[in-house]
Amino acid sequence: MLSTTELVEDSYKWDGQTVSFKGEVLQDLMARKDGTWMNLSDDNNTAMGVFVPKDVPMPLISHMEDYRTVGDVVLITGVFYRVCVQHEGETDIHAVSVTVLTPGSAKANPIHPDRVVWFVVLAGLLGLVMWFYYRKPGRGTGH
Amino acid sequence: MIRRVWREDFRIIGYYTGLVTIGVGLLMLVPMVTSLVFREWASALDFAISAALALVVGYVLALIAHTKNTPGLTHAMVIAAGSWLVAMMLSGVPYLLSGHARSFLDACFDTMSGYTTTGIFLLQDLDHISQGLNMWRHLLTYVGGQGIVVLALTFLIGSTGGAFKIMVGEGKEEKLEPNVRHIAVLIWRISLIYLGIGTVVLGVIAMANGIKPYLAFFHGAYVFMSAWSTGGFAPYSQNMLYYHSSAMEIASMVFFILGSFNFALHYAIWSGNRREILRNVEIVSFTITVLTTFSLVCLALMQRGVYPNAVALFRRGFFQLISGHTTTGQSNIYARTFVREWGPLGMLATTIAMAIGASAASTGGGFKGLRMGIIVKGMATDIRKLLSPERAVVTGHYHHLHDNVISDGVVKSAAVIVVLYVLIYVVGAVVGMAYGYPMADALFESVSAGSNTGLSCGVTQTGMPTLLKIVYMLEMWMGRLEFLSVFTLFGFIATSFRSMRRRKAAV
Repeated sequence: MLSTTELVEDSYKWDGQTVSFKGEVLQDLMARKDGTWMNLSDDNNTAMGVFVPKDVPMPLISHMEDYRTVGDVVLITGVFYRVCVQHEGETDIHAVSVTVLTPGSAKANPIHPDRVVWFVVLAGLLGLVMWFYYRKPGRGTGH
Repeated sequence: MIRRVWREDFRIIGYYTGLVTIGVGLLMLVPMVTSLVFREWASALDFAISAALALVVGYVLALIAHTKNTPGLTHAMVIAAGSWLVAMMLSGVPYLLSGHARSFLDACFDTMSGYTTTGIFLLQDLDHISQGLNMWRHLLTYVGGQGIVVLALTFLIGSTGGAFKIMVGEGKEEKLEPNVRHIAVLIWRISLIYLGIGTVVLGVIAMANGIKPYLAFFHGAYVFMSAWSTGGFAPYSQNMLYYHSSAMEIASMVFFILGSFNFALHYAIWSGNRREILRNVEIVSFTITVLTTFSLVCLALMQRGVYPNAVALFRRGFFQLISGHTTTGQSNIYARTFVREWGPLGMLATTIAMAIGASAASTGGGFKGLRMGIIVKGMATDIRKLLSPERAVVTGHYHHLHDNVISDGVVKSAAVIVVLYVLIYVVGAVVGMAYGYPMADALFESVSAGSNTGLSCGVTQTGMPTLLKIVYMLEMWMGRLEFLSVFTLFGFIATSFRSMRRRKAAV
């Protein structure tokens, strides 16, 4: 199993090799004439573009990453290209097989009660300061 | 002799800084609404807290420092430089609350990068941030490109005595119209028209490329704001690689080239003076330096056999080079590809392009094409003088909106700014090298920060040394404001302390 960092750092070594790659499906599956692009995030701020040609069976991707969703984690086996000729020099993986390892799920982004308190306090303070500021006629309307 | 600092000076600076801060608070309502639209409740609350905080700080400043006096040149410079620092800190609060910034310094690094239209970032797990935070990142860069101080002052108060001086402090010294309010309105009108066009064009391309329809126009707006302001951010960590689309890259490239042109040039063309684009010294300079640096990039990439054909070489090589030269920083290769594949010559050519940068009074950074043109023409004039008979009167000219005579003073002013840019580039590179980064990497990243470009070869990461983060932040700030207002701020602070000591001694 290789990571984006390993593939990019050793791009010449892995160029044209069949590799295994695992990552979370980012928000968009981009269907094109000859296949589908997906971007797989495998670590903090690293992701790899994976091209799934039309003739490769594509499993159902039930969840794709967004703020409220953890995307499906998929395992790709495919050929890594340092500079893909088909895609005008892009660094990518052309998938030979795609398997969903872990289905995604909804992600909780809970509201912290202390932040609600902070907001109420600041909003009250703001109202007070604005009242002081605008109580003199003509203030805030220019010079 | 430097004058003393009086209480009224602080009032003027405090009052106007307060107004700018109120502007920053109001601006936070845009990402807050975005989060509400996407039902990102926690993120919306973060922005509500941040906006309330910014507004409280802004109103308190404006209340305690309220004055009817308008700023002079010194005040204007201090307001411009100081407001950027205040805006940077308050704008970093949503980053910190989101949990995606490891520290407040990292949050400030990103907001400084956004406002200065640089584009390097330390935000963690970028691929999982809220739409609200993504809107905020791109809005910062869009507003930063046009000049936040002038935006706030022009739209928050009716007339703006002294605001042109502040505009100069923000690095936009072209006086297109007699009234500064008209200039700001004009800049914003041009930018908003392009925002509409850009969002639709890029949104349609995004949709055609398979981006979900309800998100495609957000992607369009984000990529446009990043391109037009020569910012370099993108909604995902892969930057332009996320889209796998040459159409997206070409459209974005058109917008960032347009964004890198002088606003005065846009105005001239909008006013019907279309020939200006062929004659303007900045366009001539830009064309020559692009061709030269791209030739070097081609040489480097062909020598190393990086790309298999001309199409791939042009799509990757030209995009990266032009993105660097316009100081945009959008990227369609991985950051480490510069080091692992492009090699020293390719990196050096890109570094030179970034160092030169875009046009004056544009959203871009770097030395600026105008200064390059003036210095080269000044040198040519000096050589002509040496070759001419002693009694001959030799004058040099350059065309920028109209024909201008090259005087020693003009050349000196341009050269001083270029030297200052070189100085910050070198300081950043030396600090990087002192921490053990290779010279090519340290120089590349330092120039990228100082010229407000945002291309990275992998040095900028959250684990990088704290001092290096601070040095890059200073480079971004000074590079964007073109030194004068920053030096005035430092001078003002020093003079304030001296005045205080004198008053104490007198008591």
